[in-house]
Amino acid sequence: MLRPFRLEEPETVKEVSELLGRFGETAKVYAGGTELLLAMKEGLVHYERLVNVKNVKGLNDVTLDDSMMRIGALCTHHQLETSPLLQQKLAALVRLEQNVANVRVRQVGTLGGNLCFAEPHADPGILLLALGATMVAQRANSKREIPAEQFFVDAYETCVEADEVLTEIQVPVPVRNSGVSYLKFGYLERPSVGVAVALQVRDDGTSILDTRIAVGCAGPAPKRVREAEEQLSGKSLDEATKNVSKAGEIAGRAAQAISDLHGSQEYKEHIVGVLLKRAFQNALSQYRAVQR
Amino acid sequence: MQFEKEVEILVPREKVWNFIWDVDRFITCVPGCKEAKTIEAGKLYSATMIEKVGPFRVEFPTTIEVLEREDLTHIKAQASGADNKIGSRMKLSLDVKLRQQGEKTVLGFVAGVDILGKLAALGHGIIKRKADQVLDEFARAVKKQLEGDS
Repeated sequence: MLRPFRLEEPETVKEVSELLGRFGETAKVYAGGTELLLAMKEGLVHYERLVNVKNVKGLNDVTLDDSMMRIGALCTHHQLETSPLLQQKLAALVRLEQNVANVRVRQVGTLGGNLCFAEPHADPGILLLALGATMVAQRANSKREIPAEQFFVDAYETCVEADEVLTEIQVPVPVRNSGVSYLKFGYLERPSVGVAVALQVRDDGTSILDTRIAVGCAGPAPKRVREAEEQLSGKSLDEATKNVSKAGEIAGRAAQAISDLHGSQEYKEHIVGVLLKRAFQNALSQYRAVQR
Repeated sequence: MQFEKEVEILVPREKVWNFIWDVDRFITCVPGCKEAKTIEAGKLYSATMIEKVGPFRVEFPTTIEVLEREDLTHIKAQASGADNKIGSRMKLSLDVKLRQQGEKTVLGFVAGVDILGKLAALGHGIIKRKADQVLDEFARAVKKQLEGDS
């Protein structure tokens, strides 16, 4: 049963930050509430105050600024899965959002809430890592940009400070010579393994200019795997295709997979390798399709 | 959940053994442990274990019972506690073994940890990882304390 709490209704980021600063650990940001309220109903956490951020204007827009997609932290998953702008510029994110949890969660759950709750099996963070996203966190009078790589600290832990509010997620739009793929594997709505690959091919089409690989769900938090990227970046397409198994092994080990009811550590590491290979092929196919 | 750890400490076995029974010093090595008390020396102790995973915090008032003891060699103990606020219980069985290896002592322990109740909703994997981290931190702290003394 949900224990009583006070609901604060600020209207600006400054007010939100001040409330969070004033009440410290006894207060928590409340956006969609799909994870927070469940945990509170279960009695796993209790806050004296929930700071409802849904009245704060300007945090649920999706806009394109040059080649940077700016996604308001309060955008719901449903808003993102149906955004024509995202469909056109960041189709991989749309596909991911279409498969987040279930329709009820997608209607009210927000991208910002998903990232800040940092549930280990949440997958948007994995793709955002591969896309090189930046999270914007604001205080009353300051703002900082956090690369996705630094955002996730551990299970249920991000680097957002107690009086900071995640306001925006900035995602560079992939360039023309690129391909992006996110694949997950799991039971029902709960992914056990998620792998994202973003690659860019040189203008002459002979080799991979840059690759970004991220893994998650298997371990405590999403993680970029630079060592696996090195197996592919700078290599010819044939060589990269040969090296992708090796990259998968490296990514599997780096995933910090945890044995649980959904699979052993070794099993999840193997699945990381399988998904990485498929995601790489998907990304390459996307690139080739655009070139035709 | 079963955990096995071994830590090599560059001090004689007697010193490690005495340290284990020095409650005030020993608890400084147990992450999240506070208010340890001796109820019956060598047999029964109490302590409060506090752990955090992200926003989730548990506080287990715990009773520790020593079941077997073989001087300088072996201790078998069990502990249990409950956090009534979040409706969860913790059970721990601990087998500690000491052996001298040249100038160093090898402190080995096998721990069986069971978390029951709502806390289990966090997922077996996350709890297992946390327990593993706590035991690693404990092993490092014991080594640091004892080797720092010598």
